[in-house]
Amino acid sequence: MNLNFSLAEQDRSAAVQAVGTEIEYCVPANLSLLGYRAAGYLVVGQHKWAYIENGEAKESGVIADSWEYKVIPLIGNVVLETEDEQGKRVLVRSTMEHAARFGYIAQVLNDKSAARKIRIFNNEEEAACVKCGGRLVAGTRVCPRCMSKAAAFKKLFGVSKLHWKALATGLIVMIAASVIALAGPYFQEILINGALQPPDGQSPSMKLFYIALAAMIGGLVIGELLSIVRARVMANVSSNIAADLRRMVYEKAQSLSLGFMTSQRAGDIMNRVTADTDRIRQLIQELCTTAIYQLIMLIAASALLFSADWRLACIVLLPAPIVAYMNMYIWKRVLWKLFHKQWRIYDRANSFLHDVLSGIRVVKAFGKEAREIKRFRTYNSEFAAATIKSETVFNVLAPITNYLIQLGQYFVLLLGCNMILNNQMNVGELIKFTMYASMVFGPIAWMMFMPRWVANALISIDRVFSVIDEQPEVLEAEKAVRHTIRGEVSFRGVYFGYKSYEPVLKDVSFTIREGEMIGLVGHSGSGKSTLINLVSRFYDVNEGQITIDGVDIRDIQQDDMRSRIGVVLQETFLFTGTILDNIRYSKPDATQEEVIRAARVANAHSFIINLPDGYDTLLEENGNNISGGERQRLAIARAILNDPPLLILDEATSALDIETESVIQEALQRVMKGRTTIAIAHRLSTLRNADRLVVLEKGKIAEIGSHAELVEKKGIYYKLITAQRQMSKKEQKEELAG
Amino acid sequence: MISSTTEKETAAAKAMELLEEEVAAGSLSDAADIHYLTKDNARFHKTEGKMLAVTVGEETHPVVYVHCSFPHTNKPMYLSVRTVENKEIGMIHSLEDFPEETAQLLEEQLQIRYFTPEISKVVTVKEEFGYSYWEAETTAGLCRFTVRSGGGNAKLVTPVRLLVTDVDGNRFVIPDMNKLTDKEYRMVELCM
Repeated sequence: MNLNFSLAEQDRSAAVQAVGTEIEYCVPANLSLLGYRAAGYLVVGQHKWAYIENGEAKESGVIADSWEYKVIPLIGNVVLETEDEQGKRVLVRSTMEHAARFGYIAQVLNDKSAARKIRIFNNEEEAACVKCGGRLVAGTRVCPRCMSKAAAFKKLFGVSKLHWKALATGLIVMIAASVIALAGPYFQEILINGALQPPDGQSPSMKLFYIALAAMIGGLVIGELLSIVRARVMANVSSNIAADLRRMVYEKAQSLSLGFMTSQRAGDIMNRVTADTDRIRQLIQELCTTAIYQLIMLIAASALLFSADWRLACIVLLPAPIVAYMNMYIWKRVLWKLFHKQWRIYDRANSFLHDVLSGIRVVKAFGKEAREIKRFRTYNSEFAAATIKSETVFNVLAPITNYLIQLGQYFVLLLGCNMILNNQMNVGELIKFTMYASMVFGPIAWMMFMPRWVANALISIDRVFSVIDEQPEVLEAEKAVRHTIRGEVSFRGVYFGYKSYEPVLKDVSFTIREGEMIGLVGHSGSGKSTLINLVSRFYDVNEGQITIDGVDIRDIQQDDMRSRIGVVLQETFLFTGTILDNIRYSKPDATQEEVIRAARVANAHSFIINLPDGYDTLLEENGNNISGGERQRLAIARAILNDPPLLILDEATSALDIETESVIQEALQRVMKGRTTIAIAHRLSTLRNADRLVVLEKGKIAEIGSHAELVEKKGIYYKLITAQRQMSKKEQKEELAG
Repeated sequence: MISSTTEKETAAAKAMELLEEEVAAGSLSDAADIHYLTKDNARFHKTEGKMLAVTVGEETHPVVYVHCSFPHTNKPMYLSVRTVENKEIGMIHSLEDFPEETAQLLEEQLQIRYFTPEISKVVTVKEEFGYSYWEAETTAGLCRFTVRSGGGNAKLVTPVRLLVTDVDGNRFVIPDMNKLTDKEYRMVELCM
């Protein structure tokens, strides 16, 4: 991210005067407090800051004179605030465009103010187009202005290469089909000139008549057969290419880091896997069947027209683009807009229906049926009105546009008849000519619409390849080793933030001994979940290192490492499938006995065995047909099946009632024996068996020690535990009183 | 006799219900506990650091922010005055209840918090590859911005008021869609 913008000469000299020769950071502060856009910059030197606008330092100050520099996000803008002896004050204001930059700058100013080492890891890339230098939209890799259509197609052709044989077959079939289609009018000419109305001096020949008729029928049949073959071949090819793309997107999505996957909504990825690849399939199919065919027909028919009679050809072809353009204009400007509006109203009515019908309980509970009926009536009549309007216009315009397209043919007839009367042409030739002419209009009209759907398909290509080309954030080291985890985990000076200007963990150092149980305690947002995300290496640390048995986790093979860590989360996710499959997820080759063993340890065996289908019970989506406690026990069984030496429990029992929790706690106790365990729990009583507790406060380790030690210390942990006890006492009292 | 007893019981039960309802109705506003700041109980002033401070009774809050309850439909009414820790100091029923000077000060704070330039003229909207590129004359000058298509980035917050959020999170508003020219309307409509 650019944190040092270059200034114009005038601004620069003002800045140098205000903060000294070395300008370390310079970011635009482009909004005045009064709300107008300003060409201002916040400049940070070694010890001073200044706000520069129009070659003048409007404000400046010594960094160390203030503290708590902070970006306050407002609605549609941000302000950088600070505090000095007189109280809080606003330094500068900016639009959202530079919000992230001020995040970094606030961190820099705080570090400078406290005379600390500046800790910003400016690795957030500022996406800019290589070609035009324009800023790229976050989340995209290609500049929409510069994205060459050729480049996108090139990528697609790269994928299509594997299917070149089938593609070539399709192409040959297509060329053959067009040759046959083009031969039709020729035989018609023979038929008329040879048999029905031979030129003067020739006698009608029945033989020629039959040959021509047979050729026309044969051409028709073969043409139809070829089009069936063409459609089949192309459907195959396009589906296979789309399948390849789907597989590539899916595989990539699996290998990408959690960071990317959480930044992209799951639905969006699903869309890319399904809808976008399907749109590409349609593009290939359309391109390889209709588009190329139309192009061949257009070129060949035009060539034949000119060879037949260039004057008539000009009459046919010259107005064709104009007519086709008018046709497109009517479609695009009038009809498309009308239909678009109709669809939008339809969409609105649809989502209203969906809304009200799924919330019908609420409607009935408040007795608002009459109101909803009235509202639906409005939507309904709006939709009806829009439909009537668009259909009326369509029914008027459609015949007119069709008529316009065929207008050229009437001219040909007019001139052709004159030529026949003047003996410059015979009937057969005229018929052949008009047939070729009719073959030209279709492709021209069709091609007018091509840019629109090509553009749409390009968006899909872009979206699909933006996932395929994405680089995983957590990279496997070149010399990654397989390491049999024993269970000693060490944090050494770990700094980490999802956005590096907002460190979530700061200077975290401690060691978890082999087989030890550690409880992580702290307020929400203190960095507990982040810490365990780092142990699982869903993200890499910004600074410092995490080691397992003395080996940096960045040097351990990711799959191997994760398969040795058992994770139980608060929100369990079970896949559709049998209980057996779900428990086996962590070790697909586990024997049935191993599965039963894991289930017994997790206290799940007794409930499973009581189910009519036992371990073969089919779970519905996310295990909705069993209770929360049962799901959690299956999750524990799944986590321990592989006998992991390292166990992570993230609020594993928080969502359960006390009774179920105690059953699961009992199971966990058994499981944790001899394993290194890191557990997060909201209810502190859950962690009473922990060997040591680590209290996190604002991303730093505040306290560390056993329960007894921490209680004696009377620090944060003591406060938390007394607060919880008082709460539960109060609840108990209320229950007794009630 | 029996029937009259039952009637009495029903009447008593009804009376109880009514009483309960009254209690419930009374308790809602108690429960909501809106503390209104008025010109008599609160004094607003601007600090040297260009921030808003308020003195309520004896207590002075050196930094407060003004939040709008209805930023689109009723901007000057039901404002919430809050500290940076998001604690509510009190609500303002209407800016009109305050002397002009204070109202102006509060209005200024609203302008700072809710920076949403109004689009007075749409120059061009070009849609390409899933993004639309806007150029518009706004109350904050000529602005060029990029809006991601779909996903509610251009949405009607009232039947005529269109809120447009660009890829950075900047907000723009078209106060009345009906006042756009046909050409402008057509360009904007395609992005909705």
